[in-house]
Amino acid sequence: MRSHEPAQKVLLEIRSLSKHFGGLQAIADVNLDLPSGVITTLVGPNGAGKTTIFNLVTGHLSASSGTIHWLGESLAGQAPWRIARKGIARTFQDLRLFSHMTVEENVQTVMERSSWLWQRKTPEMAAKLEQVLQETGLIHKRDQRAVDLAYAERKFLSLARIMASDSFLWLLDEPASGLDPRSFDRFVELLKTYAQRGVTICIIEHNLDIVIRLSDTVAFLDQGRILAQGTSDEILKDPHLAAIYFGDR
Amino acid sequence: MLAYLQNIAVLFAINAILAMALNFIMGYAGIFSLAQAVFFGIGAYTAGYIALNVSDSLLLSMATAMGISAVLSMALALPALRVRGEYFVAASLGLQMIGVTIFSEWKSVTGGLGGLVGVPPPVIFGYTLTSTGEFLALATVILLAILSITALLVRGSFGRSLMALRDSESAAQAYGKNVNTVKTLSVAVSAALASLGGVIYAFYMSFVNVEVFTLEMSILLMAMVIIGGTGTLLGPVVGAAIVMALPAALTYLPFIPPGELGTIQQIIYGSAMVLLMMFRPGGLVGGRSKGKTA
Amino acid sequence: MLYLQLLVNGLQTGALYALIAAGFSLIFGMTRIFHAAHGATFTIAGFVFYEFYSVLQWGLVSSILASCVAAGLFGVLLNRWVYVIIQRHEGSFFTVFAASFGAAIVVQNVVAIVFGKGLVTVTTSLSRSVEILPDLYVSPMALIAVLAALLCFAVLHYLFTHTNMGVALRALGENPGLIDVYGLNPRQLGKYAFLIGSVLVVPAAILTAATSGLNPAMGHHVMMISIAATIVGGVGSLRGAAMAGLLFGLAENISLAFVDPQWSEAVTFVILFLFIIFRPGGFYGRAITS
Repeated sequence: MRSHEPAQKVLLEIRSLSKHFGGLQAIADVNLDLPSGVITTLVGPNGAGKTTIFNLVTGHLSASSGTIHWLGESLAGQAPWRIARKGIARTFQDLRLFSHMTVEENVQTVMERSSWLWQRKTPEMAAKLEQVLQETGLIHKRDQRAVDLAYAERKFLSLARIMASDSFLWLLDEPASGLDPRSFDRFVELLKTYAQRGVTICIIEHNLDIVIRLSDTVAFLDQGRILAQGTSDEILKDPHLAAIYFGDR
Repeated sequence: MLAYLQNIAVLFAINAILAMALNFIMGYAGIFSLAQAVFFGIGAYTAGYIALNVSDSLLLSMATAMGISAVLSMALALPALRVRGEYFVAASLGLQMIGVTIFSEWKSVTGGLGGLVGVPPPVIFGYTLTSTGEFLALATVILLAILSITALLVRGSFGRSLMALRDSESAAQAYGKNVNTVKTLSVAVSAALASLGGVIYAFYMSFVNVEVFTLEMSILLMAMVIIGGTGTLLGPVVGAAIVMALPAALTYLPFIPPGELGTIQQIIYGSAMVLLMMFRPGGLVGGRSKGKTA
Repeated sequence: MLYLQLLVNGLQTGALYALIAAGFSLIFGMTRIFHAAHGATFTIAGFVFYEFYSVLQWGLVSSILASCVAAGLFGVLLNRWVYVIIQRHEGSFFTVFAASFGAAIVVQNVVAIVFGKGLVTVTTSLSRSVEILPDLYVSPMALIAVLAALLCFAVLHYLFTHTNMGVALRALGENPGLIDVYGLNPRQLGKYAFLIGSVLVVPAAILTAATSGLNPAMGHHVMMISIAATIVGGVGSLRGAAMAGLLFGLAENISLAFVDPQWSEAVTFVILFLFIIFRPGGFYGRAITS
């Protein structure tokens, strides 16, 4: 487990965030701070609202009430692509790769602005592309279409896209689920590397191994509320939370 | 005989241009438009009007036609693309119907039902184009140019943005793609390229009439794109060839009464569309490539 | 008096449009399939009725039944033999739409071969107009049209609120994932959606056959009204589609007081555009963004 750093600058500030869909309260009164360089994990039973929080931050959903501030600026009402260009990137639980495009194209398109009809491939872009493909181990699969990749390779491609983007807040939704042990180790090392390079990461995970090995902070959600926040030790050893997580209330 | 073949070749080239322009949005962006014939018409009427009233410069007609089409298509795209794809289909259908009405009624510009007659031959760099052979050369040059432009766009960053949003719009947005801008730009490009086909048509026929700019034509173009294969560069060209060759091929079959040729032709390409979508959704060129999602 | 006449005509047309639009909206709302061949269903229903009633002289009820069977079969079989197969391996909006379109083209032309391309009407004394007020001509057909529409909607309402299948269909429209609760599967419900949606056009087809007549290409117009009404009414709302259909029927006729007949179709689409720009959710729906 990483040692605590002295108080870091808070990059993402969520206050009293709520979201309801008709009668269903998905998120209620959530407060969360994501400071620079810290890895936070969101844990909790299925349906607790973790992905909803991500959707609210990235603009795929709009909040019913509450505020989200990124670098001091409110993200309310902004389109997802705008928020993405401010430095926030995410992965999806169901990956949502660009299926009919090759690995290389998937990564390359993240680095390109969409509003232009044509862009030159700069040396910096080319270098970054190579680096990302190398680090995720996909360099030999660069011409394969995303839909033809193996499961683990798809997970790494999902990570590769986010690595290629210029963002410094990563929201990862169950990024390592279903990975075999070796791939899993590689994955965790990769995340650690980027965290050390200064990226702020927030992960939704069920895999306790990731929680233990990576997290600086853990937030436990249930039924749309954050029940507890603390180090992984504190959260994982709390019998009350374990009961909720494993189903006996 | 040569003149006959050249004539067919010119018409084929024009159809291929229209089909390629449509494929740009249908195949790569997944946007379905039933209004392609309207932009064909705008190109033709613009060229006809300019040639009759202003100047016989080919380049002027082309530039103006492309400009008008691009602007009009963006007016269509901006509201409709904010919402779902089905809305754009409906809006394009609406544009197609209104377009035909305007073409038929705006006598001062389009000549109404009678159309524009006696369009003078175009002039480019001081050279006047008159013979069928010359028009064939022009059409071929433009066809190749469009092929190259499309290839450049599609294989470049814009093409990647298009395909990204076709494959997963939410992911594309999450990675900074301004989806509305991409869709609107692609519609504008498609409309502008289609209008070029109209410009060639107006000068070649010396005559512009609303009959070819109807919904039937839009449907025919859609059939060409689908049969040839969406999302491939040559698919629409192949599709255009097949759909055009159909009536000629049918005349050789002895048991079909001549009056029913058009009907049989439509049955064939209608069935082709159904069967292709069931078994080979990528079209004849594309194959089974429209597969699962990752 | 002109306005009143146009209003009456508009109600007659509107009632028929309401039925057609409701059928399309039902299918689209429940299965999310863009059934572009809905116009073909209408064409088939109309011509089958004509064939049985005017040509084979089978009698009214049998002819209506034949028309219902034909329409229902077409919708259900098209779904089963084409749409389902496509959805099995890929089923994007485009593929289904293209196949549907192709089917519509085939139907239109087969009908043209069998019946010719011209106008065909069913003659009946009920379509003769009666001058009930000075300058106001109404035929019993108008009344029948409105009554038929009301009856169909009443039956539909009953189906949706009092039968298992109907309630399940509504649930399917809201959230396909919940459907397993009812023990029916989406495929089966889809079949019912196509059956009901297709049969809904039958009264409209028959009445059109008896009034303005049928021609093989009329499927285009039917499809346009269906799509436009579904959007203006709000995707997923049958009531909305029906009301929008009525609106279009009225608009199409009343606009004749102000513009030339060629523009009446354009009026429909101007309305559609305005809704897309200012209220894409339509009357009752929420605007669905991707």
